[in-house]
Amino acid sequence: MNRLMALIKREFWENKGAFRTTPLVIGGIYLAAMVMFLITFNHFDNEFQSLKELLRFIAQQDVVLRDKILYMANLEISVLFSTALAFVVFFYLLGSLYDDRKDRSILFWKSLPASDTLTIASKLLSAMIVAPLIFWVIYVISHIVIMLLFSIVVMVLGENPWTLFLSLGSPFEAWGLVLVSYFTQSIWALPLYGWLMLVSAFAPRIPLLFAILPPVILGVLELWLDFLKTFTVNDNLFGLFGHWFANSPLILSADEHDGDFGASLGIAIFSDYDHQITVANMFDRIFSTDMLIGLAIAAVFLGGALWLRHRATES
Amino acid sequence: MNNVIEAKGLTKRYSRTIAVDNIDLQIPEGRIVGLIGPNGAGKTTALKAILGLATYEGELSVLGKSPARDRAALMEDVCFIADVAVLPRWIRVWQVIELTEKIHPKFSRDKCLHYLSSTKVTLEHRVKQLSKGMVAQLHLAIVMAIDVKLLVLDEPTLGLDILFRKKFYTNLLNDYFDEQRTILITTHQVEEIEHILSDLIFIQDGRIALNDSMDNVQQRYKELMVSPDMAAAARELRPMNERELFGRHIFLFEDANREQLSELGEVRTPSVADLFVAIMNGDES
Repeated sequence: MNRLMALIKREFWENKGAFRTTPLVIGGIYLAAMVMFLITFNHFDNEFQSLKELLRFIAQQDVVLRDKILYMANLEISVLFSTALAFVVFFYLLGSLYDDRKDRSILFWKSLPASDTLTIASKLLSAMIVAPLIFWVIYVISHIVIMLLFSIVVMVLGENPWTLFLSLGSPFEAWGLVLVSYFTQSIWALPLYGWLMLVSAFAPRIPLLFAILPPVILGVLELWLDFLKTFTVNDNLFGLFGHWFANSPLILSADEHDGDFGASLGIAIFSDYDHQITVANMFDRIFSTDMLIGLAIAAVFLGGALWLRHRATES
Repeated sequence: MNNVIEAKGLTKRYSRTIAVDNIDLQIPEGRIVGLIGPNGAGKTTALKAILGLATYEGELSVLGKSPARDRAALMEDVCFIADVAVLPRWIRVWQVIELTEKIHPKFSRDKCLHYLSSTKVTLEHRVKQLSKGMVAQLHLAIVMAIDVKLLVLDEPTLGLDILFRKKFYTNLLNDYFDEQRTILITTHQVEEIEHILSDLIFIQDGRIALNDSMDNVQQRYKELMVSPDMAAAARELRPMNERELFGRHIFLFEDANREQLSELGEVRTPSVADLFVAIMNGDES
């Protein structure tokens, strides 16, 4: 256990920039945007002459509507964090078993009494737990700082921040949902994570190419063969990936429920992919037959990664 | 006396070549063994098998464990420096110390800091900021702070200057080596380690060409230096090897009579490097 913790710490040290600086920068962007908004608001040519008037106008609106908009805004703030997290984890895993082979420091790591299984576990857990947790904590802190700052501004302008927005929009619920979505996503994405680690352990160079090219070639071939046979395009590898992505529990829009978002764009959304953002809906995804198949695939990929890692110093 | 390494029929095949060819080997504890061989002779391959870094055929037991299966457990009692530059470049000195302390049960932070205190390496340094020599000092400080039974050094001083190389081996001998420990070294700079070795193994084309203690080697092999007029007489005694230096002929003999040789010229103990050249060339002809 101590060894595993030490190895996870090593992953954090090596990837501080991706794991910690990235969400901090996003939090900073939100804060900067807010400060810029507050400073420049009076310069906009719009129907509200001042921020004070805008706040008064908002305070007069229906409380149920305000509650709903705020709730969505609370979730929406997480989207930038979640998107960045997905990219960070993707590239982290792609390099996880490649970088130390490339710079030969693998020989140092292998001189320590830590098994390959433990090493792979530490990397997978960093992607599944450590990175999401750090992103989530910084998301929540950024959110709190934004709320505090805005409260001060609101108070200075003579409105009550509690009735205006602090008591509305259930921020705790948004935080909880985002946290659950991160961890369910970690499980949902295991086949992808397994694939990335397999490629990372295998690629002689440019792991990104090895991760993307084979499935794309396979998908195109499948598409083509299918078309030759039936003159139609059926479900194939791309469809499978689309299905996987559409069902991902990661919250990428606050509007992912009731088909609102799709409807507003005139796109009919299959009810299969229409998941209202609730904990139960997220759990549905990971307690499903699809997930079982996904776990089996992930196990094969991770087993392959372990096998390759064991032989990484062979020549 | 316990054998630290026992190999029987150790073989390593790559797709077309045989890197290690049916080697039998016993290395007892408390020895400093030099594994010497030309490039591509199979030294590194043999070491990799011993360290659990490569698969192999045949029987191999290191400290009673199978390296291929139990690398992690074996690494509690075995340490190795594969090449000076293999410490991860991003890591800070305090981080690598903390990691090793948490992962290695036999690591002593105090010892490591003590060894580092005589260098210019500081805890806040990143490995990539250190010179090649400083990285080697750091690596050696870490390794010497680990209380293991077998230390394997594969070209540990490659690319380092002579001052550092001397200090490296002095530290190793004075501060680290004792009767319970075994050190296995490969290097091309044979002359630098021959005075610290207790045993010598020559390896050529994946086979062992010589495996003996330094004491025996020094008794078995004699070098004779004669003037040209005595050269013919010396050749009569069937030397292993002959070379010329400044008009003098130098012969290498195995199991020759010292008194008989000294009648012809000056008899000396050959250097490991000269012996190496003689044996390697001899096997080729």
